[in-house]
Amino acid sequence: MTKAEFIESLIGSLNGLSEDDIKKSKDYYEEMIDDRMEDGIPEEEAVSGLGTVDEIKDQILEEVPITKIVKERMKPKRALRAWEIVLLIIGAPLWIPITAALIVVALVLYLCFWIIILALYLCDFAVFIWGFGVIIGAFVQQYGFNAGLFMAGCGVASIGIAILLFFGFTKVAQGMIFLSKKMGLGIKRMFVGGKKE
Amino acid sequence: MENQMKRGLLDVCVLAAIKSEDSYGYQIVKDLSPYVEISESTLYPILRRLENGLMLTVRTAEHNGRLRKYYHITEAGLERLKTFSEEWKELMTIYEFVTREEKND
Repeated sequence: MTKAEFIESLIGSLNGLSEDDIKKSKDYYEEMIDDRMEDGIPEEEAVSGLGTVDEIKDQILEEVPITKIVKERMKPKRALRAWEIVLLIIGAPLWIPITAALIVVALVLYLCFWIIILALYLCDFAVFIWGFGVIIGAFVQQYGFNAGLFMAGCGVASIGIAILLFFGFTKVAQGMIFLSKKMGLGIKRMFVGGKKE
Repeated sequence: MENQMKRGLLDVCVLAAIKSEDSYGYQIVKDLSPYVEISESTLYPILRRLENGLMLTVRTAEHNGRLRKYYHITEAGLERLKTFSEEWKELMTIYEFVTREEKND
């Protein structure tokens, strides 16, 4: 791939980002290729050494906030025609609530995500505290030594389970955060790149 | 190494590379590559992040008939490097303690 082909392909894949973002990426990669070539690396190699356009796109997308990408996508590319404005106003009772609902759904999903993680840790904490409660109970109960021993055993077991669960839940939380990042990148990819308008 | 940690470390490495004098993308990669795994494509988002975080400023200068961007560290960037070295002093003490325990085993 030549420098010109690479830059063209990169610009195409970033279509949907703001013009400023695209220009900055283009300038940067042009400079990199020029510097590499100046260093004596042949053009083909200078380009291929940078990685594939898709890899570069993902790296750029990770740093651009999703709200900025969506906003850029929603911005009309040309001035609206009169009938479009009329339609927008007439349709307002329909599209405003729908958009508002979508935003609320997105917010709720986001909240749910953190609440699930919080709930996992709260459950774990409850089992932990319960274990201590049962051990204390073992000393104050009035059903004899055997019952006391049984209760103390249960208490120690609960504390043990709680400690093990803590590590398990931490892995689950890490996995969820990892997945949410992947999902975020996936959503960004839907908005950026593809065909040129 | 954990991703989050690596990300933070790369930020600091880039700041360190422009600490004594302004530098440009390709030079930063060349300066850092003996110490840490970094490529032109990984450097780009880091530079953008540091620029947005006001840790560095960018100026454009002409070089061989084309434009090249030079990165200059800001006060905030220098501050970041200072905090980093202070934090790592603490970590190194812990590291020494941990490895000493291992040797005694």
